[in-house]
Parts: sequence; structure tokens; C-alpha cells
Amino acid sequence: MSGGHEHEHDVEYTAPLGETELRVKALESLLTEKGLVDPRALDELIDLYEARVGPRNGARVVARAWVDPAYRKRLLENASAAIAELGFTGRQGEDMVVLENTPRVHNMVVCTLCSCYPWPVLGLPPVWYKSPPYRSRAVLDPRGVLREFGVAVGDEVEVRVWDSTAEVRYLVLPERPPDTEGRSEEELAALVTRDSMIGVGRPKAPERRPR
Amino acid sequence: MRVLAVADVGRMILKGGSARVHEPLAARFAPGDRVIAKNVNPVGHTRLPRYVRGRRGVVARDHGVFVFPDTHAAGLGRKPQHVYSVRFAARDLWGPDASPRDAIYVDLWDDYLDPEGDR
Repeated sequence: MSGGHEHEHDVEYTAPLGETELRVKALESLLTEKGLVDPRALDELIDLYEARVGPRNGARVVARAWVDPAYRKRLLENASAAIAELGFTGRQGEDMVVLENTPRVHNMVVCTLCSCYPWPVLGLPPVWYKSPPYRSRAVLDPRGVLREFGVAVGDEVEVRVWDSTAEVRYLVLPERPPDTEGRSEEELAALVTRDSMIGVGRPKAPERRPR
Repeated sequence: MRVLAVADVGRMILKGGSARVHEPLAARFAPGDRVIAKNVNPVGHTRLPRYVRGRRGVVARDHGVFVFPDTHAAGLGRKPQHVYSVRFAARDLWGPDASPRDAIYVDLWDDYLDPEGDR
């Protein structure tokens, strides 16, 4: 804590839980006591999405597409099958479509009705993705939203916003960063950010290699 | 009532549960067809966003056949039908301040659409 000596007492107390947290805790206790939920299964679910399912999966898909033209072709033609080749399947990724960014087209993804998101490749959605401002402004003013995310898109580029309110989940295949020739698939995957696969960011620039 | 066991969590998640229906239903629209999203305001569950109701778009692709959530959520049956990705020009939705290049793609069930010129 950086508040100085006079605030040291803050450390002594835990703030009371908010209404939502209390409600969740009450529901969890009830469901567990009635035998409707096995708390170990709940822990396993949480561990799955904290440790094993997340945007590093999507980054591996993108990096593979960057180095392997045949894989890229399969990915764009039948994304669910091509992603399953790398072992990423399951809930909220049953029916996938991959959208390729090019110098002429920039794709970004939103779910205006709720928070639909491709879990097997990106994990659970970030809070901002579920927030009403992102959900309404992504369709109404995509270029403004992109600017706020630090993504400059020229007037000559077509912005396509994909509203995934039905059953298909979308993953953006960002453009491969320049000056990455000869990089390994693993090095390339490290450049792929979550936001670049939602279409509100770009991959990281590679670090210069020592000569 | 089945309770999810700890040993089944991984399999349940990785298997998923697609709403796709493998029935060879004829598609009413094909890519390139001009359509209008119906202006309807159902009281129950729907996946037809308000901002496209009554607006014109072009079918960009056919995703195949899926369970219809509007009836399924109400316990009125699966009513499988094609879902299309429909492209709406940003200016047709938001007016002249929108970019002339940009577009919004919305996945819409067959029941949400009329052919253009139908009204």
C-alpha cells in the first residue's frame, strides 16, 4: 500500500462484498447443499479456463496460418476443422469462421446482444467486450472505437464489423507484422495479442535481434 | 437431475454442443441475394438485433442449418432453418455520417428475412 503511515489501518479490514458477489455466494452454497453442483467440478471448470483455455490457443492458430499457406487455406475454408487440428475444440467454438485482415479490409468482432465469444481459441471474454458501450459503439462507430484502442485504419480500408449474435463464432486472422521473416512459429505466436484476434488491436512488433 | 462430475468436466467442455442441425433443408436465399430484415418486435427471445429491423442488406454467405432460438427458447420446438451472414452497408444503418466503405455483418435466421421487393 502506498498511502503512507496514516492509511495503514486500511490493511486491517476487508471491504464488504458487493450485492452480486453475495448473491453468487448464496446461490453456490444452495446449489452445493442441495447436491446440484459438485464444488470440485466447479473448481475444475475454473481451472480449465484459467490455465488451459485462453488466447494463447488462438495465437498458435494465427502463427500456424502465417507460416503454413496450406493451413491458412484450410483455416479460411473450414475454420472449425482447421482449429480442431491443433486440438482446440469445444463450447462456444463449435462453428467457427476465421476473418482475414488484409491491406484493404479490417475485421472486428462484437456481440451486440450479449457476450458471444470463441472460448476454445480466446478463453473467456474480457470485461470491456461484454460492456454496453463496446457492444453499441462497435457497430455504430467502429473507427472511433478502433482509434480508442490505438488502431489507425486509413480511409482506403474497409472496416467490417461482425455481430456474432447467432451460433457462429469469429476469430480475426491479423496481418503478419513486417520484419518477421525467418521467425519460428513459436516466436510469431508470442507476437499475437488477444485484441488482435478480436480485431481491436494489431500484433506486437518483433524485438530487434542482436547482431 | 444429472450433476456434472469432476471427471466429466474436460470432456463436456471439449466436446461442446453445436446448435447446427444436419438436415438437408433447401435454402431460400443464396449469396448475393438482396433481403430486408423484418420489422417485428417479438415479446420473447429473439436474436434479431433492433438496429437491422426493416433495413436492407445482401446475403454474404450461408452458414447452414441451425435450431431457431426464438421458438426453442419458448419451448415451441427447434424449427431448424438456414442462418445467413447478411451484409448491411454502414450508411444504410447509420446515415451519411458513417463511412461509405464500412459494413456490418449480422447472422440472421431465415425467418427474420424477406426478399427485397416483397413489401
